[in-house]
Amino acid sequence: MKLTINGAEVEAREGQNVLEAALDAGIYIPHLCKHPDLEAVGGCRLCMVEIEGQDEPVCACKTSVAEGMVVNTTGEQAERVRKLAMELILATHPADCTGCPKYGKCELQSMYQYMGVSPARWRTKSRPVATDESNPLITHMFTRCIRCGRCVRACRELRGAGVLDYQRTEDGIRIGTDGSVSLQEAGCRFCGACIEVCPTGSIVDTLNMFDENKSYADNVVPCRSGCPAHVDIPRYLRHIRNGEYTRAAAVVREKVPFPESLGDICVHSCQDACKRNELNGTPVSVCRLKRAAAVRDTGDWKANVRHEPLSGKRVAVVGAGPAGLTAALYCAEKGHKVVVFEANEKVGGQMRYGIPAYRLPDATVDAEVATILEIAQGDDAEPRIELRCGERIAEPKALLDQGFDAVLVAVGTHDGTVLPMPGHDFEGVLRNTDFLKAARTGDAPDLTGKRVVVLGGGNVAYDCARTAVRLGAASVDVACLEAQDAMTSTPEERAEAAEEGVVLHDAYAFTSINETEDGSGKVGSMTIHKIERFYFDENHRAVTELLDGGEKTIDADCVIFAVGQKPEGTAQMGLELTHGPYIVADAEGKTSVEGIWSAGDCVTGTKSVIAAIAAGRTCASAIDRALGGDGDIDEELTEHDAPEQWVGHAPEGFYDDAVQPEFVDAQMRKDNFDTFECPYTDHEAACEASRCLQCDLRLTISTPRLWNEY
Amino acid sequence: MKQLETDVVVVAAGLSGLAAAVAAAEAGARVIALEKAPITGGAANMGMGPAAAGSPLQKASMIEVTPGELFRRHMFYTHYQVDARLVRDYYFKSGDTIAWLQDMGVEFNSVRPAFRARERTRAYSDGEYTWHVVQPEDGSEPGPRAATTMTKRMTERAQDLGVEFMFECPGTGLIKDEDGAICGVTAKDKDGEEYQISCKSAIVATGGFGHNAKLIKEKLDFEWGTDLFSFAIPGMDGDGINMCHEVGGGHTPVTMELMYQIPDNMNHFYVEGAFRQPCYWCNRLGERFMPEDEIFNTTFVGNAINHLPGKVAYAIFDSRMLKHWKKDGPDIVSHVHPHDLYDGFEEQWNRDLEAGYPAICQADTLEELAEKAGIDVEGLLANVDEYNEMCDNGWDDIFEKEREFMKPLEKGPFYCCKQYCGAYGTLGGVLINHKMEVMTDDYEVIPGLYCVGTDACTIYGDSYNYCIPGNTMGFCLNSGRIAGENAAAALFEDAGDEEWS
Repeated sequence: MKLTINGAEVEAREGQNVLEAALDAGIYIPHLCKHPDLEAVGGCRLCMVEIEGQDEPVCACKTSVAEGMVVNTTGEQAERVRKLAMELILATHPADCTGCPKYGKCELQSMYQYMGVSPARWRTKSRPVATDESNPLITHMFTRCIRCGRCVRACRELRGAGVLDYQRTEDGIRIGTDGSVSLQEAGCRFCGACIEVCPTGSIVDTLNMFDENKSYADNVVPCRSGCPAHVDIPRYLRHIRNGEYTRAAAVVREKVPFPESLGDICVHSCQDACKRNELNGTPVSVCRLKRAAAVRDTGDWKANVRHEPLSGKRVAVVGAGPAGLTAALYCAEKGHKVVVFEANEKVGGQMRYGIPAYRLPDATVDAEVATILEIAQGDDAEPRIELRCGERIAEPKALLDQGFDAVLVAVGTHDGTVLPMPGHDFEGVLRNTDFLKAARTGDAPDLTGKRVVVLGGGNVAYDCARTAVRLGAASVDVACLEAQDAMTSTPEERAEAAEEGVVLHDAYAFTSINETEDGSGKVGSMTIHKIERFYFDENHRAVTELLDGGEKTIDADCVIFAVGQKPEGTAQMGLELTHGPYIVADAEGKTSVEGIWSAGDCVTGTKSVIAAIAAGRTCASAIDRALGGDGDIDEELTEHDAPEQWVGHAPEGFYDDAVQPEFVDAQMRKDNFDTFECPYTDHEAACEASRCLQCDLRLTISTPRLWNEY
Repeated sequence: MKQLETDVVVVAAGLSGLAAAVAAAEAGARVIALEKAPITGGAANMGMGPAAAGSPLQKASMIEVTPGELFRRHMFYTHYQVDARLVRDYYFKSGDTIAWLQDMGVEFNSVRPAFRARERTRAYSDGEYTWHVVQPEDGSEPGPRAATTMTKRMTERAQDLGVEFMFECPGTGLIKDEDGAICGVTAKDKDGEEYQISCKSAIVATGGFGHNAKLIKEKLDFEWGTDLFSFAIPGMDGDGINMCHEVGGGHTPVTMELMYQIPDNMNHFYVEGAFRQPCYWCNRLGERFMPEDEIFNTTFVGNAINHLPGKVAYAIFDSRMLKHWKKDGPDIVSHVHPHDLYDGFEEQWNRDLEAGYPAICQADTLEELAEKAGIDVEGLLANVDEYNEMCDNGWDDIFEKEREFMKPLEKGPFYCCKQYCGAYGTLGGVLINHKMEVMTDDYEVIPGLYCVGTDACTIYGDSYNYCIPGNTMGFCLNSGRIAGENAAAALFEDAGDEEWS
């Protein structure tokens, strides 16, 4: 229908109100209480307009458009009411904007910039309210509240939570919970809709929680930005909650080709970033939920995999670990033929040879690699990825001469470090890398009745210790330099190992490995020394102060070094190196040699499977661009559903700790290499997924346009 | 990464950036203005108006303040520790800039001093009539934030001239060509999208680093929230200063426009206002440190507090003084706090006391007050005795404070509020010449790079000149305008060269 606003003919839709029609037509009318996603209430009275044939000005937001309506937004009467309304709003708002965290992003500030500021006619009644920082994630600074009610409407009408409401207090009407209880007691879902719609600085994200170097979306959804591969976590958790496991797995697969392996062993930095850490509970068990989805995946998403026509280009990947295989898949999807060279007998890299089978069984790696080959081939007659195991590539440059258009070096870190300490060359001293690989290939030494000491405090040290337990060791001791709270292994890993009988000696220096008797050349014991203080001096050198009388000798038949590992053979590759054997690569993985990229642990040092996958993705994209493609490797393997906005009141159990899956008892698991953690049951998975705060929901809320954007 | 192209990129659309954008666009340049916030105006939105000399408004109001006179005053105040050419060009431009703003539709309510000194001290401590207070859009009496109407008009003018604003898209870096001239600016929007904008010149105007506690600690040795409660306008993190330094821009000392403040002042507004009176101000030993009749000069008080032990002062009054202010109004009227603030004082005070607001305390005796406040008890008692005696004699032997304000501290309960250093933001960082061109530490001009506003404002020396009010806005406006004109002029000089070559 047509109406006239300020003399201009304007097209409007049936059912729109005058405010919406004017804003859509690019005619600005001041407004505060009306938010694009919320019902109009006509409370702030800033959107007053005059309508021909009516005596009094009306709220544009509460007036439906009508055919032929003639509207004047700047009439004298309308302006008078608008000005009065603004004066009343400003009369109770602080006169001083300094110190307000919303400064510069405040809609009220923009509004008075547009209308002018006139607090003077009214006796200013600043109504100070103490800042309330007692709730997690959300801070209330109601001194700045103008009682527009947007938060109340968002909480009630948009989210169905009904936590916030107008409350009558001695000092006037305020926003709050019924009975002034905490947000949690009131059943808040901490979805943040109230923050998103607040036009002033009254309801804000806890101050200093956000990293200003990150984008807004990355700050609002920290799990997704905390994941190196930026898996869309809230989206797949919603699918799991609805029992849509294959769709959940598809969401994961949009970014990573190893969902189940990651579900077993991911370092899950997403969980460290999870906002639930700030609540009374533990973070959402994202990693376990990923496993729950992956083990139920039916593969329906395969039809949606990107499959671009063959480009005629060939890519060589050196090293079939997570970085190499990921890059191989995405290069293949972009139409390039890939040959993956792997020095070991089988593919998988650290996933197969570094991580013990009780954490990640061969079958899982095999199945996921098979899926990669299958989806890469698609309906082609020929495979797009060729795996060539048992072929060690010493000089990647030679591959360029052999006709490959690009080479990716992703050889990982398979060279375990041995510290040059007394006794390091005795019989019975082992390296982490050799020991774990031997355990996976069935070549492990028999440790029945043997006493084992593992040196190191990371997850690899615990992998060695728990592998030793399973190989029949009579005792297993772990000794490390770090104090327990500084150890890089996860607390869960330490707790599970302790259940299996592993003894920890934290904050000990390694003194010597001792012979059984002089000249025997065989390990007999390990001497360690308690550290009193450990710090870095002004020259950033590590200083260790030992405790007097803190020496301890542990009887041992076997000492395993698990103090780090580095790339093998990189020195001969003709690539620029750094910090010894590590390959220099830029943000896109480009090395010093044109045509050669590098990714994963051999660039970054030993990190994680997910970091290697993320690096593999980056390189695949860069290689595709170098080969003439557009570098776009993103996929939509399942439709993006619009998330349900109505989340309701927090259900029972919402604030509980994470759901624990079932574990095989320590006594039952310690003599074999079977996995011992059961995937979540359907019920467990649904419960755990329901703990997600759905931080991404608030990003779907519209941002009102300010006057300067019209 | 998206590629854009224009003549002039203005980095940040606060007051100086707006002035630069409008001036450059008026001279025919194509302008892109990057802005971190979704709105324009930056810190100017909290102010009331700029300083100027020789403006049409001053002339019409029979106010004889010439640019030359202000220049001399300014240089006397700063002992020629600052760039005289820069100061000169600013003041000599300032009167015309008021006319320029009026042509844009900015109306000024009046020209004011920030204060008038008492007659006896007027010769050396008076406020000049330089403050061009903006008339708010709605026709009301100007108060805090009145200058938003000016930033609105300037934004509209810029939009009319075709300036392209990119909101929530801060500049992230400057790009130099092989000859060392600026040829582009990088930016990143709130969704993480990156831009590379090639240009002939860049004008950096990001407003200092008042929001960056780490840099404040590093450059100024204040611990924000402990001994400094300055305005922290979100987004003012030193972006522009870093950007200029990264491409070789020279360094200047950095200062803050010190004033005084109480913690979390917005939630304790009446308390803050109530103590800004010529009552009894002392250090933690109980000793007075300045004639309290100068308490209106926020620069002087801020500087004084900065040199007290623990960087804290104590303002104290008694029940009789409170009664007097409630009945007669404040002795010193502020343009920030409401005139009737004492009507709301007790309600707020009692609530704050109950809530345990740490900056304040109340006691029936001075002894108890000193204990609660953390002032040396003996020291306070002895000094107040001495002070009360001077009040009886009607003469301040120590500082010769105005005798009208010599009211004894006698009748409990006594009220005390701790006062800390505050500040508006930071000043300086990037070395410029009087054309607002950025120079290296060797005073070599970096072609195509200008820096304006508080990122480059070093004209005050160590202290803001509170006697020439509106000065920060004045410098922002005029430096921005000069840079905008120069950037546009350079554009057409270059074009001319090409034509003839």
